[in-house]
Amino acid sequence: MIAKIICYALNGLEGVPVEVEADVNKGVPSYDMVGLPDAAVKESKERVRSALKNSGLLFPMNRITINFAPADLKKEGAGFDLAIAVSLLKASEQLLGADVKDIVFLGELALTGDIRPINGLLPILISAKSHGFTKFIIPAENAEEARYLGGAEIYPAASLGDVVRHLVGMQPILPLEMKEFVPGLHRKSSADLKYVKGQPIARRALEIAVAGGHNLLMSGPPGTGKTMLARCLPTVMPDLTFEEALEITKIHSVAGVLGEEGIVTERPFRTPHHTATTVSMCGGGNKIVHPGEISLAHGGVLFLDELPEYKRSTLEALRQPLEDGCITVSRAGGTFTYPARFMLCASMNPCPCGNYGSADRICTCTPAEIRRYRRKISGPLLDRIDLQVEVDNITYDDLTSEDVNEDSAAVQERVNAARRIQRARFEGCDIHTNAEMGEKEIQEFCALTREGDKILRDAFERMKLSARARARIIKVARTIADLDASEEILPKHVFEAVSYRLYDKL
Amino acid sequence: MITPEEKVVIYEAAVAGNNNRAGLAAIRGEGGVRRLSPEETAAADRLIASLREKGIFLVTVLSEDYPEALRYAPDPPLLLYGMGRRELLRARKFCIVGSRITPPWAEKVGRRISEELSERFTIVTGLAEGGDAAAIAGALPRGDLIVVLPCGIDGCYPAAHAALREKVLAKGLLLSEYAPGTGTAKWSFHQRNRILAGLSEGVLVLSAGKRSGALITAGRALDCGRDVFALPYNVGISQGEGCNDLIKAGAYLVTSSSDVFAVYGIEPREREEASAEGDEGRILTYLRENGETHVAALAGSLSLPIFETSALLSSLEIKGLVTKTGGNKYAALS
Repeated sequence: MIAKIICYALNGLEGVPVEVEADVNKGVPSYDMVGLPDAAVKESKERVRSALKNSGLLFPMNRITINFAPADLKKEGAGFDLAIAVSLLKASEQLLGADVKDIVFLGELALTGDIRPINGLLPILISAKSHGFTKFIIPAENAEEARYLGGAEIYPAASLGDVVRHLVGMQPILPLEMKEFVPGLHRKSSADLKYVKGQPIARRALEIAVAGGHNLLMSGPPGTGKTMLARCLPTVMPDLTFEEALEITKIHSVAGVLGEEGIVTERPFRTPHHTATTVSMCGGGNKIVHPGEISLAHGGVLFLDELPEYKRSTLEALRQPLEDGCITVSRAGGTFTYPARFMLCASMNPCPCGNYGSADRICTCTPAEIRRYRRKISGPLLDRIDLQVEVDNITYDDLTSEDVNEDSAAVQERVNAARRIQRARFEGCDIHTNAEMGEKEIQEFCALTREGDKILRDAFERMKLSARARARIIKVARTIADLDASEEILPKHVFEAVSYRLYDKL
Repeated sequence: MITPEEKVVIYEAAVAGNNNRAGLAAIRGEGGVRRLSPEETAAADRLIASLREKGIFLVTVLSEDYPEALRYAPDPPLLLYGMGRRELLRARKFCIVGSRITPPWAEKVGRRISEELSERFTIVTGLAEGGDAAAIAGALPRGDLIVVLPCGIDGCYPAAHAALREKVLAKGLLLSEYAPGTGTAKWSFHQRNRILAGLSEGVLVLSAGKRSGALITAGRALDCGRDVFALPYNVGISQGEGCNDLIKAGAYLVTSSSDVFAVYGIEPREREEASAEGDEGRILTYLRENGETHVAALAGSLSLPIFETSALLSSLEIKGLVTKTGGNKYAALS
């Protein structure tokens, strides 16, 4: 008898339906798998055999053929175990009259018959739902991740025995209760701007950066709290919407970094170490492609501490995603596109010893060393970082001061207001924030007053600014005006924008 | 037109390679300059022609426009290779140098002084980072600028300043006592410094540590009786110890271009002072009275919102009245 069971494979962030067909015939006992299974899928033979036996079920001693359709898609991983087991049971008539036609089975089996969690459950569920499937049996440990799907019957099962008892109606599993999405519910980071001592300038730069979606570069000696400031960035960004949260959760689910709570409720903050390879940053892998750090930072912040320490090739690879908001990686197993719309926050020392430009401390670096250090960051990358700010050396007084600083929530409110203005401005455009403006939008939305134009002209002559700097300054001035709820870009906005500029060219 | 006597100098200095006192001895024949054999004349002519093709001209110690001041300095080079505006050789010259590690504020002050001095003097300096680069930046807009290279006239040291070299070449004059293709050696910087000092009426040192090369230039200036000027520094800043030592030893203390003009009896041109009124004026006054101050401290003392203070400071910076000194601190420039 032949049995057909629906299962899903992952292709990037998309789920692809796979039919598992089992044929149990009379003949010399054998057990074959066809349809491009990889090593992990083939190994499921032994897992399924033991799981059946240890669940008190029979492993048919007949001629068994398992086929995966479509046959041209490469199948990877252990997520097909449950579907194979159920198809065998169905084909060997151990499930009686149970209806398994429209149910999607997902899960990996342990030898004991327990069901183990799989990666990428949420993207599979979302795809399957869009393909018209509404009934799912999933690993109990993945349950939290599925709670936000809505509009589907989802049965979390802990073991193969449970699945069988459910299917034959002996002991039905209760469908999963759905949950409402609450942004910030599972906040893991305790960062808050109120714990940041001093740093009035950097705080302001942070606010402007988030309000306009600008990328940010912080420069300052080691140990002045650059990392702490950066950690506060997600806390002042606008709250996640449900759609954003689902998209982020999909990526994290595929990468297998999703926490127990099953959904991402706060904006990601990723801090890859400076030894990170280009592949770990952008995504890659042998056959299938895993999302890289920039995709895991989607919707949140990618923090690169000690920017010049990163390999130059790795930094250059960031340029295209910074522009497009997504990354396309091609490998033998196919071409995958992952979203990667993140805010880049980088930190660096002014020179290798960290004291360049300080009046009271002596920089011991030679000009050649400083040049070498700064040259690691290319102009085109710097071009995409609109704000540059110096982080102060903190004093003992700063650390012990009792002054209570403004907390993240207050800043977030102002950011939200500025974002609302931008949403209204870019209605119908392809962009969302000031930072994404191109030459055309700058001309359309950032008309300077005559006075403002004169200031920029003077600044150019005095400070020997490059042409690149002009667009950056104007965009930042636009955001400062938005924070000020000012329709026009006033001279004071331009002046302030000019002050957030350190390295015009490195 | 190159005279036969000059050709002898060119032959000895460039072809035979004695661009020094030894060459001078070889040039002196019985009863004046010696005569060249036909082969030697041909070699000298070939050299002159090949250099002219590359845009390089030669100034010999016998040339009319060989700088007078340099001629009477100790050990002048017999031959100078030049590229660019030759007429600058006749101008009044003033030298500004500084060590490669120069604090940013000193670079800005140096640039400003260089810009103002270049109205009356041709600025003489090297091509290095820090102080030299600041002097070049100040003098470039007018273009009255002589850069003396420590390597061959067609070379560029440091290599990273190739673009700067091109700019100088376009508007000013490059000089070197070394033939094209010559690299640098340890001593070539010291040798070059004697030309810097020899060319100029005075030498201003923008920054110098205890053992800086800028001090060698100052020493050479004293050897040939030039005036020495130095920028004063706070106690404890190693990049300025050499400058303070010079002042202790009697160098002129310089805080603005008028200090230099005063020594030479030049009436400085009335300068339009960029004005600062209202809050900008208050900030400027505060900075002048209290020295380098952090933006937050400034905002606190004047009870202004912090980002408004940043904006006002930017405005003052654009006007050239204050400078950012690092760590979000600002200082008044005058």
